[in-house]
Amino acid sequence: MDKMNHSSAEAEAETIEPLRYLSKGEAAAIETELLRDYRFGQQQLIEIWGQACALAITKAYPLGSLTKKQPTVLVICGPDQNGSIGLVCARHLRMFEYEPTIYHPKRSSHSLHQDFTVQCEKMDIPFLSYLPTEVQLINDAYNLVIDAMMGPEADCANIKEPYSGILVTLKQIKIPIASVDVPSGWDVEERSQDGINPKVLISLTAPKKCATSFTGKHFLAGRFLPYDIQKKYELNLPDFPGTDCLVEL
Amino acid sequence: NAYPLGSLTKKQPTVLVICGPDQNGSIGLVCARHLRMFEYEPTIYHPKRSSHSLHQDFTVQCEKMDIPFLSYLPTEVQLINDAYNLVIDAMMGPEADCANIKEPYSGILVTLKQIKIPIASVDVPSGWDVEERSQDGINPKVLISLTAPKKCATSFTGKHFLAGRFLPYDIQKKYELNLPDFPGTDCLVEL
Repeated sequence: MDKMNHSSAEAEAETIEPLRYLSKGEAAAIETELLRDYRFGQQQLIEIWGQACALAITKAYPLGSLTKKQPTVLVICGPDQNGSIGLVCARHLRMFEYEPTIYHPKRSSHSLHQDFTVQCEKMDIPFLSYLPTEVQLINDAYNLVIDAMMGPEADCANIKEPYSGILVTLKQIKIPIASVDVPSGWDVEERSQDGINPKVLISLTAPKKCATSFTGKHFLAGRFLPYDIQKKYELNLPDFPGTDCLVEL
Repeated sequence: NAYPLGSLTKKQPTVLVICGPDQNGSIGLVCARHLRMFEYEPTIYHPKRSSHSLHQDFTVQCEKMDIPFLSYLPTEVQLINDAYNLVIDAMMGPEADCANIKEPYSGILVTLKQIKIPIASVDVPSGWDVEERSQDGINPKVLISLTAPKKCATSFTGKHFLAGRFLPYDIQKKYELNLPDFPGTDCLVEL
């Protein structure tokens, strides 16, 4: 989205630089810097992102706008960081009085991931033991699906079960999909030709290159990135409204 | 919420955040970092740093956000009144032993009792007993209770917030917290 504009009303010409879309390497480099140099903790970052995702969902799909009898949401979590973010997102949605259900087929043995899982279980969030292949069951039971399967680090050319099967199902559902950071199955730098087609994309920290061709509702979520990193990578993040931790792009 | 950017009277939106050595201090560090993202200008006074690695991480995060750390707190109260719009007291939490306050905190509390700018305390006003208001303790204008208010807050007469919207329903029931409803998707509510 072009963010260049020149305001002739300003005494000095003020140029807004365009928002940067990150490559796979840049996204990884930023995260490494945050952990190594800025001493952010993994748990801390995942919590910040998960909460911001949940807020984005409440903006895109306010409680009152949901059409099913209950405010049900299906959250599909992968085994890695993207999945952990999905777990945190589900937990916050529960606090916001949505009714998330989690499908989390392959659980990482990483202790942090397990902690997030326990936090959700102790919030009485149901975990499905399998995902119905009968697409109509999903369409009927949930208002939307949150795709938290694969993040920017995933190898989209090499998607194993059960995720390849889940993606097939997601391409057939009628209810909207909201993807966390990168639509699962898409290459992080390039939109997938036959990939899933989410209605909502919630980019974390900064959008990735594949989002340049995203045509749905696009949020930037997570308002914590140190100014030095923003400058170093010339991110040109837009202003966040008030004290919101997300902004619609 | 209590002190919107536009309501601050000094030329710059300066805030002094005084952080203790324990968890309350760590919370203060994170608070300062977020205030920086919200375009306030926090300055941190953090005299005694815990060696706990998590606490150090939070300190580095603040330093890397270019938040200034004072090496000493002026005893000249007018300097504080002039430089900052408000003070955030993140020195002592509910676990602190208020009958046994050591330096430098006892000295800081003396200073805080004399300043004219408002104090906002995190969880428990430092120096207060967690269950009972202190007779000659500091007098914050704002109290930000975390998770649930503490007994000492029953006699608090200023602006009182409940902050933090994450507490599992089972714990809320078990301790009969009867938390109020949070507006919309806010993570805090004014009591």
